[in-house]
Amino acid sequence: MPLRVGEKNFENRIHTGLEDAFMRGAVRSAQERLRTRKQESSEELGDWEAWRDLGEEIRTHTLNHLDYYLEQLSDKVAELGGHVFFAQTAEEANDYVRKVAEEKEAQKIVKSKSMVTEEIGLNDVLEDDGREVVETDLGEYILQIDDHDPPSHIVAPALHKNREQIRDVFRDKKGYENSESTEELTRFAREQLRQEFLEADLGITGCNFAVAESGSISLVTNEGNARLVTALPKTQVTVMSMERIVPTWEELDVLVSLLCRSAVGQKLTSYITGLTGPKGEEDVDGPEEFHLVIVDNGRSEILGTQFQSALHCIRCAACVNVCPVYRHVGGHAYGSIYNGPIGAVLTPLLDGYEDNKDLPYASSLCAACTEACPVKIPLHEHLIAHRQIITEKENLGPLPEKWAMKMFGSGTSSPRLYRLASKQAHRAMRPWTKGSNIPNGPGPLKAWTNIRDLPAPASQRFRDWFANRDREDKS
Amino acid sequence: MPRGNIQHRENFLNHIAEQSGRPRSQHVERPAWKQQPQWQVFKHESSDKWVERFKKQCEHIHTDVIETETAGVGETVAETIGRYQAASLMMWEDPRLEEAGLNKHFREQMANLGVETHIWDKSKGRENINIAEQTHVGITYSDITLAESGTVVLFSSADKGRAVSLLPETYIAIIPQSSIVPRMSQATQQIHQRVQNGETIPSCINFISGPSNSADIEMSLVVGVHGPVKATYILINDQ
Amino acid sequence: MKVSFFITCLGDMFYPNAGKASVQLLEKFGCTVDFPTSQTCCGQPAFNSGYHQDAKKAAKQTITAFADSQYVVTPSGSCAAMLHEYPQLLQDEPEWSSDAELLTQKSYELTQFLVEVLGVENTGASFKAKATYHTSCHMIRLLGVTSAPQTLLDNVEGLEMIDLPNKHDCCGFGGTFAVKMPKISKEMVDEKVSCIQETEADILIGADAGCLMNIGGRLTRKNDAIKVMHIAEVLNHSE
Repeated sequence: MPLRVGEKNFENRIHTGLEDAFMRGAVRSAQERLRTRKQESSEELGDWEAWRDLGEEIRTHTLNHLDYYLEQLSDKVAELGGHVFFAQTAEEANDYVRKVAEEKEAQKIVKSKSMVTEEIGLNDVLEDDGREVVETDLGEYILQIDDHDPPSHIVAPALHKNREQIRDVFRDKKGYENSESTEELTRFAREQLRQEFLEADLGITGCNFAVAESGSISLVTNEGNARLVTALPKTQVTVMSMERIVPTWEELDVLVSLLCRSAVGQKLTSYITGLTGPKGEEDVDGPEEFHLVIVDNGRSEILGTQFQSALHCIRCAACVNVCPVYRHVGGHAYGSIYNGPIGAVLTPLLDGYEDNKDLPYASSLCAACTEACPVKIPLHEHLIAHRQIITEKENLGPLPEKWAMKMFGSGTSSPRLYRLASKQAHRAMRPWTKGSNIPNGPGPLKAWTNIRDLPAPASQRFRDWFANRDREDKS
Repeated sequence: MPRGNIQHRENFLNHIAEQSGRPRSQHVERPAWKQQPQWQVFKHESSDKWVERFKKQCEHIHTDVIETETAGVGETVAETIGRYQAASLMMWEDPRLEEAGLNKHFREQMANLGVETHIWDKSKGRENINIAEQTHVGITYSDITLAESGTVVLFSSADKGRAVSLLPETYIAIIPQSSIVPRMSQATQQIHQRVQNGETIPSCINFISGPSNSADIEMSLVVGVHGPVKATYILINDQ
Repeated sequence: MKVSFFITCLGDMFYPNAGKASVQLLEKFGCTVDFPTSQTCCGQPAFNSGYHQDAKKAAKQTITAFADSQYVVTPSGSCAAMLHEYPQLLQDEPEWSSDAELLTQKSYELTQFLVEVLGVENTGASFKAKATYHTSCHMIRLLGVTSAPQTLLDNVEGLEMIDLPNKHDCCGFGGTFAVKMPKISKEMVDEKVSCIQETEADILIGADAGCLMNIGGRLTRKNDAIKVMHIAEVLNHSE
């Protein structure tokens, strides 16, 4: 499944989202729960802002010296006997993993949740070669067996589905016969997947953070599937996007703490797993062979630009969980595996503006995202910066808007013109005025009055009042 | 272990440096971070208070804590196994478990109760995994314990398999009170020190906080997914 | 204290009474208020839509209009926040950047000015009504003014303030967002309206003309009798 998913047309996606009452109910209650949990867990720290400052400082430093830390990481992995492949593109990354799978004659591959492998479309490539790829995160598993339904949330990919829908998917695809109780559904998935773990020849994981000093990778999960993926198969492939790295274990602590609290309001998730190279020589479980694939796929183009801090993202979805736009349209409306505010920032950077030019406008710029981000990415500012590029560099803004803004520029920079225009407003709008409101405005005002009344311009502007008052005072 | 391969590194890293508008970073000192709130957490509290916090947190993570004196560990574990009505258990090959009371006497006691006891045995290779998969209870010792999050930190090794705390439906951790530190920071600091000293750290370090769980269906929490469904901590009063 | 009043384009045309009340409040607390007539709009509509060249024209006009002012006070958190964007917006134009910085330093939102500069926490107003307050996003998140409006409102005699559920959610205005993404904006304002209705307040108070236009327009469209008032009108009210 590549970066962009689902319906191509933005308007259609918005429409579908707004019409989906179940999805909207599910998203609303999820947002409420996650926000409350995050609020509580960050407040109990007492100095959340200091934690955010630290998170930001760590991310900024690491990104500024990314080549150094990646070099250190890869040296350490190799010293331990692991193999490291640096992939500039999605194709290079996929080809490498494909070759590893070929060499190992892997029939069955188990995977734990990984956004970057979705982004590069790894599953398709492996499946095309006739290998069975099993997603083992419960949410991902549900989506996979439901004919590859796209994820709608960075942390909870199946957020848009209710338990009845999931029961039906399990029944139709896997012969499930029990009820829609979440316990029974989960139990069924556990039983189905346990066998897959035991039989798998190859395990594929993502990477929450790599640790440069020791050549380790870390996985943050609740279900335990990532532990199984890395404990049982004889070969492990970890695919990481190049920016997901910290200098030492001490910084891992800080970012994991920020991630768990921001993502799910937990102090730590049930499992934080630090893996260093392949298993030790005498170790019984763990992979005999370990491959680390470090993926660029357009990220280096973001380095050194005004958008660099978008690479600070630790994929906690705190911005998604507070976004009012996401709440109403849902994750699929973004048309990208990265949804919500960070998706609207990241998708145009990784995939270009042409097909994603609407995303930066899917925000009221309320800045709730910026406030929520644990590593202080100025998300709403990035959205404005995207808009500037779209209108002023890419020239993709609609023509009437361009003209309107030109007039705005001339109007606001000429006090005389501005005064004249605002003076005319009351009279000009009179034909459409009913009482003190304009219920059905002409031309471009329609978009406003289709939904809400517009107050009629006052017969006496403030400035007229002030001038009169001044005059009266002086006379 | 022979050194692994590194492929396509130079171009990749050169490109990063180029995009960043500078030559390749030759040496980077990790800065002293301006803010370090992690060290303030529970800093001025006594270790008794940490124990109290640890127990309180376990209530939130669906984990039973059973306290025992040093002498009563074997008995407490036996009772717990009884309560779970388990027919088999597997534990690490770990002298600390032996010393704590999970010794020959304990194993005999288990045998009398009809509970099969398995010890992780590296000479049996992957057979251990199959045994762990069929076993009801997995028992390990906590290397470091975190008060804030109710976490046990496990350093795996040849004798201390990853699967013991993972495959059985029930997980029991043996935790001496003296292993409790305020939070993850103290544990990662220890690991960082070991790396700095040039030691090779364990290939797998797990921070485990209670049983596995998921909220992937309607954000409603279900305890017990791919890992253990139940977890009990046996807390030893060794201070 | 000499204060220059920045009415904002929406305030000038649609909410003159909010402006009048603001001036009277400032005068009540000893300020001499002037109104530089060459002021126009802060430029936010163009800035937020990405038309920064056009926004710069408005910014320069505003800087010029208030060049001689000691303080600039505006009855809008959003427009005050926009004035704070000028140094960034004009960073490539050295002949403007220091003037932009000066304007930022002397610009305040009305309630912020009353509380932070004049030290006023009670304006002596009285108003017998049940009201709720809509916190505008830009005021709290961009300008960082989180408590001034609430402090002042709490001290209005006779005014019963009811907490607005989900008060930190945006009302769906977002400048051009309201017309560029009308369907989403509608859902957002409807959600806000139902939260307001839940409070059973008679009056909705806001501190930003944009939010008031949006919420008020939706309320009248739904034939809801809740009255919408700018905070300055309330703080200047006497029974």
